[in-house]
Amino acid sequence: MRLQGGRFVSGVIAAWLATTAPVALAQQAPPIPAQMPPAAAQPTQEDHPTLTLPEPSPRWIYVLEPVFPYLVASKVWILDGDDLSIKGMVNGGYTPNAVMSHDKGRFWLAETYWSRGSRGVRTDVVTAFDSKTLDPVGEVILPNGRFLVVPKKHNATLSADGRYLFSFNMDPAFSLSVVDVKEMKHVAELDTQGCSLAFATGNTSVASVCPDGRFVHLTFDATGKLTKTELSEPWFDSQNDPVFEHAAVHRPSKRAFFVSYEGWVYPVSLDGTPKVGERWKLQGPGDEEWRPGGWQLAAYHAASNRLFVTMHKGGKWTHKQAGDEVWVFDVAAKKRVHRLPLDHHSPTIAVSQDEKPLLFALTENAILMSYDTTTWQKKAERASLGISPWLLYTFGE
Amino acid sequence: MTILDAFDRMMEHTARRIAQRSSRRGVLARLGGALVGGAVLPLLPVDKTGAKLAHANEFAKTAQTKDPTQCNYWRHCSSDGYLCSCCGGTVNMCPPGSYASPTSWIGTCVNPDDGQAYLIAYQDCCGKDSCGMCFCLGTEGEMPSYRPELNNDIIWCFGAPSMVYHCSSQVLIGKA
Repeated sequence: MRLQGGRFVSGVIAAWLATTAPVALAQQAPPIPAQMPPAAAQPTQEDHPTLTLPEPSPRWIYVLEPVFPYLVASKVWILDGDDLSIKGMVNGGYTPNAVMSHDKGRFWLAETYWSRGSRGVRTDVVTAFDSKTLDPVGEVILPNGRFLVVPKKHNATLSADGRYLFSFNMDPAFSLSVVDVKEMKHVAELDTQGCSLAFATGNTSVASVCPDGRFVHLTFDATGKLTKTELSEPWFDSQNDPVFEHAAVHRPSKRAFFVSYEGWVYPVSLDGTPKVGERWKLQGPGDEEWRPGGWQLAAYHAASNRLFVTMHKGGKWTHKQAGDEVWVFDVAAKKRVHRLPLDHHSPTIAVSQDEKPLLFALTENAILMSYDTTTWQKKAERASLGISPWLLYTFGE
Repeated sequence: MTILDAFDRMMEHTARRIAQRSSRRGVLARLGGALVGGAVLPLLPVDKTGAKLAHANEFAKTAQTKDPTQCNYWRHCSSDGYLCSCCGGTVNMCPPGSYASPTSWIGTCVNPDDGQAYLIAYQDCCGKDSCGMCFCLGTEGEMPSYRPELNNDIIWCFGAPSMVYHCSSQVLIGKA
């Protein structure tokens, strides 16, 4: 049976190859183990097939697990957000970044491997995964490498039309690798002028944050040639009150909210050259002890125009302290509308983009929680989700 | 000179300039841009006075100077990761078989024994997978990664033969 299964898989892969060129092949068909005689296959009363997922729900949550004690063996868990049951998992490489497609058909990992696990030849690669089969279905080598850092979401993103994936690189020269994920090829390496992170601003443009509090905005043509480099005026004080890297970004509406260590919110339009709106403060009278903190500390729900931020009581330089509460803001009114005490303090949150969104909170000790934001009741909690799950992603974000 | 050589020299240069200016004048150490393989790594003024030192003192209130395998050891005020002291190394020596990185970001910690502030180079030891022992996270003076010279999330193995992170060292540069 196993032997037949292997032949079936080979046939499927051959058929798939015929339909998906020029997508590069990520994995060769597994060879049928020569040492296994056909008679060794165990006959069973039941079939033993491999499941395929339906189209991903916007309420599913994708959890990137870098596995800090074993960084060469990362994972992405996929869970149903309502009950936190596991839908599946994919393996990744060293300190990967995930990027979700706009049409839900694919997600990608920008990842790094060494040929002998922790040693040997280094390979940096963008790998495409089919979001239903969870098979790796193509890859593009990043010839200039990628930025190796504790995973941060905004080190990789996708252009507005979904054609180009941007992967930030500091090797230690600063650039953005541009990968055409339709043709599956590396297109360009854009000089970011010493600025970091990647925020798509259109089909062929992307912005990075500079050390002195500016944006650099890069525009390129179909050949990958940089056609325009714009440097904004400084819009935040990078010396005394820097903004967190984990801005809340909603790609479809091209909106972003950067939060500073001291709690200022900078609304930014990412529709073309970034436009920074008037800043406003998370904390009001009586909130002086509170400040934002954690890792992926902010999330934005576009339909309700609400911003979610993890908050804790603490002094200066507690910017990585996990949140005891999630504060919820009406962005239009710049006003807090709810305080949600978390059952377990969490550095990372995300929100689904459906009409009655779920709020997800992830702790430092591998507990994932799901809250209904219409009732503020906890819907589910799952402990022992890997060892060190770190980032959260949803389709539609 | 390779990119890594350039980066290495630039970072050493940075460290020395911070140390010189901070200790002698106690004013903002103003750092210029440094060319790295065609891309500019801008280095902004680094405040080593007043506020930052006050917060280094905050960590020092509960810090100790005897046991470098504990997170409250005085040099760990901004360390992020697995302590090399728990992995077969020491605060300034890499475990056998790993590579000492010549590059790092730089923090300022107060030694509670003499009350003095010291500059610490958080250089990683590289070439093996994570040690996995004694995880500590210090965040005194730590900045986002778009200010890489002050960020502790980066795999600081630039210039080492391998970019695989093993553990975190805390190497003394000198008095702040």
